[in-house]
Amino acid sequence: MDSSFDDVWAECEDLFGQARQTLATLKEPQPAHVIQASVNALFRATHTLKGMAGMLGFPVFSKAAHRMEDIFDLMRKGRLRSTDSLVETLGAGIEALESGLAGLKRGRPEPDDYLEGVRRELGELEALARPADGAEQDLSAMLDLPEEARKALSDYERGRVTRALLDGIPVHGLAICLDFATFDERLRAFTDGLGRQAELISTLPWEVPEGREGLAFLLVVAGAALEVDSLAPVPGEVLAVRMLADPGRIPGSLRAEVQAEAAPAPPPEPPPAPPPSEPVPAPSSQESEVLRLPAQRVEALEARLMDVAQLRDAASGMLRQGDARTGEAPLAVLGQMEEGLLDVQKALLQMRMVKVETLFARVEPMVKSLSRELGKPVKLALQGGDLEIERGILGRLVEPFLHLVRNALDHGLESPEARKSLGKGETGSLRISASQRGRSIRFDIRDDGRGFDLAKIEARGRAMGLLKPGVPTTPERLHRLTLEPGFSTMERASQVSGRGVGMDIVREAVEALGGELMLSSEWKRGSLVRLAIPLSRAVVGCLRVRSGRQTFGIPLSHVLRVHMGHESLRGGSHVKILGQDLPFESLQVCLGQEDPPEGHRAYVLLSQPSTVAGASLEIALGVDEILGRGEILLRSLPELAQVQGVMGGSLQEDGILWVLDPEAMLGLAMDSLMRRVAHA
Amino acid sequence: MPDPGSYILARAMGRDILLEASQLLEVLPAVPVRPLPGPVPGISGVILHQGEFLPVLDWAGLPGTPGQVVWATALAVLKRRLALPLESLDGVLDSVGESSGFSVADGDPWEEIVACICPVGEARFPLLDADKLVAWLHHQRARH
Repeated sequence: MDSSFDDVWAECEDLFGQARQTLATLKEPQPAHVIQASVNALFRATHTLKGMAGMLGFPVFSKAAHRMEDIFDLMRKGRLRSTDSLVETLGAGIEALESGLAGLKRGRPEPDDYLEGVRRELGELEALARPADGAEQDLSAMLDLPEEARKALSDYERGRVTRALLDGIPVHGLAICLDFATFDERLRAFTDGLGRQAELISTLPWEVPEGREGLAFLLVVAGAALEVDSLAPVPGEVLAVRMLADPGRIPGSLRAEVQAEAAPAPPPEPPPAPPPSEPVPAPSSQESEVLRLPAQRVEALEARLMDVAQLRDAASGMLRQGDARTGEAPLAVLGQMEEGLLDVQKALLQMRMVKVETLFARVEPMVKSLSRELGKPVKLALQGGDLEIERGILGRLVEPFLHLVRNALDHGLESPEARKSLGKGETGSLRISASQRGRSIRFDIRDDGRGFDLAKIEARGRAMGLLKPGVPTTPERLHRLTLEPGFSTMERASQVSGRGVGMDIVREAVEALGGELMLSSEWKRGSLVRLAIPLSRAVVGCLRVRSGRQTFGIPLSHVLRVHMGHESLRGGSHVKILGQDLPFESLQVCLGQEDPPEGHRAYVLLSQPSTVAGASLEIALGVDEILGRGEILLRSLPELAQVQGVMGGSLQEDGILWVLDPEAMLGLAMDSLMRRVAHA
Repeated sequence: MPDPGSYILARAMGRDILLEASQLLEVLPAVPVRPLPGPVPGISGVILHQGEFLPVLDWAGLPGTPGQVVWATALAVLKRRLALPLESLDGVLDSVGESSGFSVADGDPWEEIVACICPVGEARFPLLDADKLVAWLHHQRARH
């Protein structure tokens, strides 16, 4: 087994663990929102398993996971009716996949169908699903037949199977193996004979029993019971009858519903009265996240926590004794405890950080494998793998990210022939980059393929009622339409990237991370998918200051010196430091607040190191008090709450300490000083 | 036409509104909102939610909204990571009527953030569109 895929195997195992837990939740009565969240989680898990199996090179597993994903998709869209055996069947399906994966890990070959053991039950679930809008109920999936055989049925034959089952008539299969020389005559005799007993729905080619020669057929018939003897088989002919679908397994509610749909519509009922007030359910958004860590890191963390616990005991002892001799000791111990706790926070944060190249390591083999599978040569360029991102964020980003890359290859890049006819090189280009932009990591996925067909998207959007008739739209809006649930311009689902059902999930996943997904393209020139993911946490060494009634942290990396004097200075003035005349501006003014008339007696000398030798920007920033220095755990602000010049905040005992973005602050100070000059 | 699913009937800035349950992460009892260190259009401050800062909508920042803010009793947390202060929660509806024929009144200042007007029995309520609201806030930020 290739050890470079260890993480993938481990993640698959985690996904199965989560799926088992989620299914256990579904076994108990749950409110609707919990069921919905659980089904969504299972849909995502099977979707990811499908992709990972493809990446590991197990197409049959991928197909089986796709089938389970489709079932969960039916559930999440409210199209699958709940039956008593639903969760058991889904559990058995997941178990079959998990056991299959364990076999693969041990080096076993892929079986023909991982879900063979639950084939009939899964078929029933698919059959009992509420049809899509405008489609008719199709119960043919209830037939206990291999998928290929079911697919061979015509629409008419499916309709007949459905009608028979709804009418309570079982559907049987009669397998016969006939001699080459007389098969046409004998087949006619059988069909005539069966036709007198029941409705013959279809004649399918069938597998010849082992050790026999001839031609085999499966006659699909709807009838209460078949009298095989009356068909008068000749010696040597092999007949086998079995029930393919039992109408008893159709819920009465479905039969009644379909019959009611066929009947004339009753007069409309008056609208229901609004229900009485009731408490609003608070759906849980917590999803379990699994971290795999080296044991020694956890041990080191444990040791540090033990230190803190000892300090707490010491402080507690001192305080209990109330011993005057201890003097300042309890306070000093509290300070050490604070340091210890920050160390713990830092260690925890470090455990959560991982390089972006971990994500790229998933992308590369997948692109190679897909390129082969799709017959589309592609040149992949990856950039920015050294950047670090939180493991939890990366974990939640992997699946949507891989989906976007799959989409770029499957739907974005053209075939070599098509590219050639457009005057492009036969090898497509896929460039994936990560870069840090302020408080966010930005991922760009660029391809030089066909781009989005905006005309087709617009037509589909209007057909789905997502665009108002007669109202002009924009390319941006059309691109975003592709992120709407259920939106797809693809006629058929592809094994590689689906029918587009995943794009809304991608958007949901990115937005759940507080990020943004932006699409743009140029027809026949290429597409750009951009993900901006905010970095949520970091430990930053800061100088703590007070300005007005708020406390701020200024990253020490940009602090040259601090000054506390008797003289009060106002914004727009200058300070002389080491012979240099430096501009002075009030922090409050930089943040868009009133210029304090009393001025400031303290300032912080901020510096922006420049890439140009010898050139740097330095400004004295006026504050009211210097409080000290220390390391703080920074949480970033979501985009809607971002304040110019502020990187984020840290929750402190006495409120939030806002951490300034020194480079932005220098810019704001310069702007403010220039406004002062202009207004002077 | 509104999507099938649950809706929450609530009151904000003296108006009854509908919120699509599928657009919500959860509803919390109101907690003190911590002000931001500088002005941000349409946002009154942040709360700490699941270890992260969550912006809280300032209804008074919406166009044409009367200035007085009634005390919020709950915060509806949108999946788009925005909290809406609500004066009251008046119920959960399994469905609402079709909106055809009931458009947002001309000149309604909330036109830009309302998806449609939905009949519920004899009454009609505006259905808030979370995407439009967030887009409006982004637009205000860009203009700011």
